[in-house]
Amino acid sequence: MLRAEYRAGALPELAQYGQLLWSLAARDIRVRYKQSLLGVTWAVLLPLSMMLIFTFVFTRAVRATGLATDLPYALYAYSGLVPWTFFSMALTGCVNSLVANRNLVTKVYFPREVFPLACVGSALVDFAIALAVLVGLMAYFAAAGAWTFRPHAALALLPFLILVQMALTTGLGMLLAMANLFYRDVRQVVTVGLQLLLFVSGVVVPIPADGSLAARLLGLNPLVPLLAAYRDCLLYGRWPEGTGLLYATVLSLAVLLGGWAWFRRAAFKFAECI
Amino acid sequence: MSSPAVQFVHVSKRFRLGETHDSLGDLLAAGVRRLRGRRGSTEDASTLWAVRDVSFAAEAGEALGIIGPNGAGKSTVLRLLAGILRADEGEVRTHGRLSALIEVGAGFHGDLTGRENIFLNGAILGMRRAEIRGKLDAVVAFAGLERFLDTPVKRYSSGMYARLGFSIAAHVDPEVLLVDEVLSVGDAAFRLRCVERMRELVQTGTTLVFVTHNLDQMQSICRRAVVLEAGRVSFAGEARVAVGTYLKAMSRAFALRPTDLPVNARGGGSGVEFVNLRLLNADDDEVAFLRSGESLRARVRLHAHRPIRRLVLELNLRATPEENLLSFNSGRDARFFEVVPGLHEFTLTIAGIPLSGGQYFWNLRVWDADGGTTELDTPACAPMVIDDQGRATGALTLDHQWERTSPSHAAPHGAETAAAALVAPDGG
Repeated sequence: MLRAEYRAGALPELAQYGQLLWSLAARDIRVRYKQSLLGVTWAVLLPLSMMLIFTFVFTRAVRATGLATDLPYALYAYSGLVPWTFFSMALTGCVNSLVANRNLVTKVYFPREVFPLACVGSALVDFAIALAVLVGLMAYFAAAGAWTFRPHAALALLPFLILVQMALTTGLGMLLAMANLFYRDVRQVVTVGLQLLLFVSGVVVPIPADGSLAARLLGLNPLVPLLAAYRDCLLYGRWPEGTGLLYATVLSLAVLLGGWAWFRRAAFKFAECI
Repeated sequence: MSSPAVQFVHVSKRFRLGETHDSLGDLLAAGVRRLRGRRGSTEDASTLWAVRDVSFAAEAGEALGIIGPNGAGKSTVLRLLAGILRADEGEVRTHGRLSALIEVGAGFHGDLTGRENIFLNGAILGMRRAEIRGKLDAVVAFAGLERFLDTPVKRYSSGMYARLGFSIAAHVDPEVLLVDEVLSVGDAAFRLRCVERMRELVQTGTTLVFVTHNLDQMQSICRRAVVLEAGRVSFAGEARVAVGTYLKAMSRAFALRPTDLPVNARGGGSGVEFVNLRLLNADDDEVAFLRSGESLRARVRLHAHRPIRRLVLELNLRATPEENLLSFNSGRDARFFEVVPGLHEFTLTIAGIPLSGGQYFWNLRVWDADGGTTELDTPACAPMVIDDQGRATGALTLDHQWERTSPSHAAPHGAETAAAALVAPDGG
């Protein structure tokens, strides 16, 4: 409900628009799979086919770099690709979210945060489906004897990791959506940036763990400790490395709060600058 | 409630023209220009005050019309009220759940079905799912789209699209409803239902702010209206008076410059020179914008170079620059004018101009009835716009009325007739 007095506070206002948020996320999901034969199956097929391609192409290449992983490569790649696809899909959606909804931005009032948030929300649904497939893959590799499942209390960290990733994605998404509204170049930069990040975040290519300068520089990317933490919980059955995770968490929260505050401050200009 | 539901207090809104950057390249270029100290444009030149020092208020449950020529700032006012834009100066106050219908179907997604779009659009307009579910049937019935509920809206006709859009917004049950010129869509029957629905909402206590060009519609819903001209309030008060002010403003917007005709406007003869042709209303104000049925005077000024004993004037009204629609010939009316060298003025008075809405032109011909020479034949000039409030179709609309001429009770089937008493306008 749009009440003038709600415009003062961010959270209470957003709570009022919770239903709208889900309607928009549902719209994105519906539209993504409308008029398609396979429908939601694509949520499984996309990361799975990426995994197959990378397994095919990189098994030798990765081995040649000496950056070995003690996991079966397919499992390593898929466990990285699932959160990565969530990250890149949400971000790609966010960048365009305001511009693509120009009609709504200029014709209807509601908190503009709803647009990037709905993108993260709709990507989250695909993420959940892909995560279920990961479980199936783990069962397959365990049954084949290529990998052993070690149940560990760290599994309980999984929801926390997802929340940290969502915070990071949402914060970045708001910043990029806003930036793209003013300068359309941002979308291109994001496309290139995501291509680069795919190879330096430990998604399909392991990050060197030798303490070298390169390794430490790569470690500044919060996705590195985050993805490592996913694998620790799910595949290795051990607690993630504390400092890295703490760093990723603090940075993600800072990005979320900073991005959101900036977004809110600029939001009143959106309708006339779009 | 004592406080106004909607209030503008000395509100100004400025838009920047020109220096908006669309790509980083433009930004860099502008930055370099600024570094070199060459400012592309001054504040004044690049700033448009879309709304300047506007104040008005609508009490709770009141219907307020906002009218004015294109570019007067009407839509900006509405978007400021809706919270889409923020005022640069002054204060915008609104109280209560507010729903803005600035464009029908904004937020529709073509790939979604009518039903899915109702839920999506309802949420966009601030309704809860349960609320939408409860109103679904009413929304669909109002739009008349029962059969197409599960068809993607990309397959809808533009009329169906608009009907669905208005229907959703009309069922939000807001405390404040903002409507921007949306009733120009759909057929006459649907427009009528929209007006009825708005009146219904106002009767049940909704505050309505209605931006429109349709003066009759506005008057039928709103008791008070604000007239905007170039971003400022030129009148605020009774709707009927506001309409008068607005029509005057429109006439000014269409104002004619002294007509300077091209050389070929002169006819074969050399005895008469065209000076000007002006259109005047009953108050002798120069007009180019009239309401259907208003009286009109066409005043012709000619310079005679030689004496002519029997001069004939003909004024032709044209809907297109080439084709005559109506002809007024002084000779056929047995009026011949004797002129001596010098300036002469002639006036044609039409008591009630029976034209339907649209743009019209005038053509002037002058003959010397004795010599048989055409002295003057101008190209189409003196454009004028007739506003008939969308009532008539076809070229003309005559003074008429409808009534029942049988007893209103127990009329036998098929016997009911309605007589149109056609009264021809007496001018001409």
